[in-house]
Amino acid sequence: MGKKKLIRGAGTGLLAIICVAWILPVIIVLFNSFKSRTFISLLPFELPDADTFVGFENYLSAIDRYGFLDSVGWTVFITVGSVFVILLCCSMCAWFITRVTNGFTKGMYLLCAVSMVVPFQMVMFTLSLVADRLGLDTPWGIIIIYLGFGAGLAVFMFCGFVKTIPVEIEEAALIDGCSPLRAFFSVVVPIMKPTYISVGILEAMWIWNDFLLPYLVLDTNEYKTISIVIQFMKGSYGRVDMGAIMAALIMAVIPVVIFYLACQKYIIKGVAAGAVKG
Amino acid sequence: MLDRRQFVTAGLGAAMVAGIAGLAGCSGGNSGGAGSATGGDDAKGKVYYLNFKPEQDTQWQELAELYTEETGVPVTVKTAASGQYETTLKSEMAKSEAPTLFQVNGPVGLASWKDYCYDLDDTDIMGELTKDDYALKGDDGKVKGIAYVIESYGIIYNKKLLEEAGYTADDITNFESLKKVAEDITSRKDELGFSAFGSAGMDSSSDWRFKTHLANLPIYYEYKADGIDTTDAIKGTYLPQYRQIWDLYINNATCDPGLLSTKTADDATAEFVTGQCVFYQNGTWEYANVAEVGDDNLGLLPIYIGVEGEEDQGICTGSENYWCVNKNASEDDIQATLDFINWCVTSDTGTTAMCGADGAMPSGDPGMGFVIPFKDNQPSENVLNNLADEINADKTPVKWCFSTMPSEEWKNGVGSALTTYAADQTDANWDGVVTAFVDGWASEAAAAK
Amino acid sequence: MEKAIKRYWPVFIVPTLLAFIIGFIIPFALGLWLSLCDFTTVTDATFVGFTNYIRAFEDTIFQHAFWFTALFAVVSLVVINIVAFLLAFALTQRLRGTNFFRTVFFMPNLIGGIVLGYIWQLIFNGILQQWNQAIGLNEWYGFAGLVILVAWQQIGYMMIIYIAGFQSIPDDVLEAAEIDGANWWQKLVGVTIPMMMSSITICMFLSITNGFKLFDQNLSLTAGEPSKLSELLALNIYNTFYGRTGWEGVGQAKAVIFCIVVVAIGLIQLKVTRSREVQQ
Repeated sequence: MGKKKLIRGAGTGLLAIICVAWILPVIIVLFNSFKSRTFISLLPFELPDADTFVGFENYLSAIDRYGFLDSVGWTVFITVGSVFVILLCCSMCAWFITRVTNGFTKGMYLLCAVSMVVPFQMVMFTLSLVADRLGLDTPWGIIIIYLGFGAGLAVFMFCGFVKTIPVEIEEAALIDGCSPLRAFFSVVVPIMKPTYISVGILEAMWIWNDFLLPYLVLDTNEYKTISIVIQFMKGSYGRVDMGAIMAALIMAVIPVVIFYLACQKYIIKGVAAGAVKG
Repeated sequence: MLDRRQFVTAGLGAAMVAGIAGLAGCSGGNSGGAGSATGGDDAKGKVYYLNFKPEQDTQWQELAELYTEETGVPVTVKTAASGQYETTLKSEMAKSEAPTLFQVNGPVGLASWKDYCYDLDDTDIMGELTKDDYALKGDDGKVKGIAYVIESYGIIYNKKLLEEAGYTADDITNFESLKKVAEDITSRKDELGFSAFGSAGMDSSSDWRFKTHLANLPIYYEYKADGIDTTDAIKGTYLPQYRQIWDLYINNATCDPGLLSTKTADDATAEFVTGQCVFYQNGTWEYANVAEVGDDNLGLLPIYIGVEGEEDQGICTGSENYWCVNKNASEDDIQATLDFINWCVTSDTGTTAMCGADGAMPSGDPGMGFVIPFKDNQPSENVLNNLADEINADKTPVKWCFSTMPSEEWKNGVGSALTTYAADQTDANWDGVVTAFVDGWASEAAAAK
Repeated sequence: MEKAIKRYWPVFIVPTLLAFIIGFIIPFALGLWLSLCDFTTVTDATFVGFTNYIRAFEDTIFQHAFWFTALFAVVSLVVINIVAFLLAFALTQRLRGTNFFRTVFFMPNLIGGIVLGYIWQLIFNGILQQWNQAIGLNEWYGFAGLVILVAWQQIGYMMIIYIAGFQSIPDDVLEAAEIDGANWWQKLVGVTIPMMMSSITICMFLSITNGFKLFDQNLSLTAGEPSKLSELLALNIYNTFYGRTGWEGVGQAKAVIFCIVVVAIGLIQLKVTRSREVQQ
C-alpha cells in the first residue's frame, strides 16, 4: 500500500509541475504587460523592475489608442447574438427535418453535413462579397452569416439528439391541440436543454475566437472584434507597440478565463458530448 | 441512414444544384458594378479615400472632418496596415462601397489597377501640377494618377553624436569614408556609448526600408548604366555594392544581426531619438518622429553604396504616391472626389495640413510635412526636406526606380533573403538574395504579364 | 403528425435555409465558378478553364505548403494524442487535485488563435534570442513552434474526450482482467485501448483536420516566414488570393483543391467510423 501511495504522490507532483509549465506562457505575458514597451522584446523573461515598470500604461494605451473596449463590446454582441440565433433557428430546423422525412429534408441534412467539413478558405472571398452586397457587413448582419456558415454543425448535432427523443411525447401534445410551434417550445426545447448547452458552447468558442471571417466580412473601419484589433496592433500603422499588445493579450484572455471558470462543468460536458456526435 | 455511396452522390448532386443557383445569384448580384449603384440619389456624392500612409492617418482623418464641416460632403478615410495596401485595396474594391480615391505606387501598380482609373487629363487638379513629370500616364497616353507628395530619403544622422565621435558630415563623401567612420564608431562603441547604425529591423513595419528603399540604389545604377527606365530582367550588376552597404548596416548596428527579424520601425526610431545610434536610414516622412533630437542636430547624407563617381550622388527623391480616382464610382462620387483632392492642394486648410509641421492642424497636431508638387505648395518646415533640397541642388538626385519593382511578392522575397543572410552571413545565403533579386524579378515580371 | 408539422415549414426551416443559402451555398458555388476564371474583383471575371489549376500545381511554394501541412498535421496528431492520452490516463487514476489539473490543461483551448500566436511568439523569440535567432529565420523553428502551440491549445480538448472514454470503461471489465493476473501494461493494451478505440478515432480525425485547417495561429506566429517556407495550406491560399495581383483565380483554385483534400479526409473518417460501428 505504501508503494502505491508513493506512486500516487509522485504522479500528483509530476502533474503539478506540468501544470505550472502549462500556465507559464500566460504568466510571462502578464508580467510583460506591465513593462515599458522597449524592454519587452529585449528582455522578455525578466520581471518588471524599477526601470521597466510602467503600471497600467500599456492597458490604457491599448484601450485609448486602439479602442480595445469597443472591440470587446462588439465581440460579446456578435458572439451572444449569433449563438442565440443559431440555437433557436437550427434547433427548429433540425427538429423539422428529422420529423418530416422527404427528399428535401434529407438533402438539407446532407448539405449540412458536407458544409461542416468545408474549410473557410473555400468561401472566404465569395462569402465576404455576398455579405457586402447584401449589406451584412455590420455586427447585426454578420449574425446571419454566422447562422449560415455555422448551421452545418448545429443542425447536425441537433438532429443527432432529436432522433433519440421518442415521438410519442410530441404526438401527445399535438393531439391535445397544441400547435407544432407550441409543442416544440413547451415539449421539445426542455428535453433538448443539454444539447443546447453543448452546441451553444461549441459555437461560442468558435465565434468568440474567429478571426478571418469577421476580418473579411465586417466593415473594419467601424467594427473590430478582439482578434482583429490584436492583429491590427501588430500589423498596422507602421508602429508596433509591444506593450499595448501584451496588455491586449491579457485583456483578451481574462474574460475567457472568467467565463470558463464560471461554466466549467457545462463546457467540459459540452466538449465531450460534441465530440461523440461529431 | 444512407450508405456512403449515396452520401457521396447526394453531396455531389447538391453541389451541382448549388452551383447553378449560385451562378444565377452571381450575375444578378454583381451587374451593378463596384460602387456604381450607391450614392445615386445623393446629389452631392461622397468620398472614400483608401490612404496608403500609416504615418499620416490621424491628419487625414482630421482633414476629412474639416472638409465635411466646410462643404457637407462626407469623406471617409481608411488607412491600410503597413505593407497591406494592395491586399486592402483588393478587398475594398470588391465591395459595393468601394474607395473613390486610392493610390498606386507607379507604373507597376498602375498596370494592375488601370481598369479602375479615371482619366484625369481635364481635371482642375491637373492644372495645379507644377511639373508634367508628376503625372502618371497609362499606355493610352492619358493621365491616370497624380503624385501628391514628393519625398526624399537617405541616411539621417545625429550631428552631435557624429561630432562626439570626432567626425563631421564632410568626412563622408563616399562608401569608403562612410565605412571608415562607421567601423571606427563600432570599435569604440563601449567608450562612446552609442553605435553607428540603428537596428535594420526586418519586421514588416520596417523591412521596406531595405527591401525597397535600399534596393533602389543598385537598380538605379543598373538602369543608369544601361540607359533604361524599366526592365523585365534585372541583371544585378550592382548587387555586390548592395551587399557591402547591407553588411555595413547590420554589422555596425545597435543589435546583433540575428535579431533583426523581430526589430520593428518603432525600435529603430527609439534608438535614434534616444541617442543610441548616429545613423538611421529613413526619409522625410519620418520627420515628426525624429524631430525630438532637435532641428539643428539633424543631418542627412546620401546613401553611398560604393559605385564609381558616387561623390556626386544626391538624395533619393521622388514619389511613389499617385492619387487615382475610381472610374467605377458614380459620377457624383467622382466629382466629389475630384473636388476634395483639389481642395486639399489649393485651399489654405488643405495645404497647411499637407505641408505644415508642428501645430499645423487645427487640433494642434503636427501637419503632414509634405512637399507637394502643386502651385500652392507652402515652404516646408520639415528640416529633412530642406536638407534634401540643399544636397540635391549641388548633386544629382537618385530617382525612385523602386516603383518598377515587379511586385510586392518580389520585395517580400528579397526581404526574407536579406533577413536570412543577416542571421548567417555566408556566401551561400547571399546567393539566396541574388536569386530572389534576379530570378525573382524575371519570374514576377513574367507572372504579371 | 407529420402533416401538422409540415404546414409550419416557413417558421421552422426558412430562416436557417435562407441564411444557409447566403452563408454557404452561394459562396461555395460562386467559389467553384471563380476558380475557373481570371478576375480581380469579380465584376471583371472572364472564364479561363483549368488554367488556374495548372498554375496552382506549378507553384512550388504551394507544393511546399502541401507537404509541409501534411507533415505538420501528422506530427501534431501524434504529439497531441499521445500527451492527451497520457494525461487523461493520469487524471482518471483517482489522484489528488484531478479537477484542478483538468481545469488548467483545458484552459488554453478557449484562447483564440491570434492571441495564442502572439503569446508564443514572445516566448519563442525570447528563448531563441539567447542564440541570436528568431522564429522567423528558419522554417523548422516555425514548424516546431506551431506543433508546440497547437499541442498546448488542443491537448486539453482531446484529453477531455479521452477522459470520457476512460470513464465509460466499466470497472468490472478491468477487475476481471486483474483477477486473471494481467499487469497494468496488459490491461492497457488488452482492455483499455480496444475499448477506447472510438475516442481514439474521434481525436485522431479532429486533430488531423485541425492540423490541415490551421490558419490563425500560423498567421500570427510566423506569418509564413522565412520566405513563405512556414506557410501552411490555408495561409498560402489566403496570401495567394489577397497578396498577389493577378493570382486571385489561382488562389481560388487552390482553395478548391484544399477543400477536396479536407472533404476526402472527412469521408475516410466517415468510412472508418461506420465500419467500426458494424463490427461492434
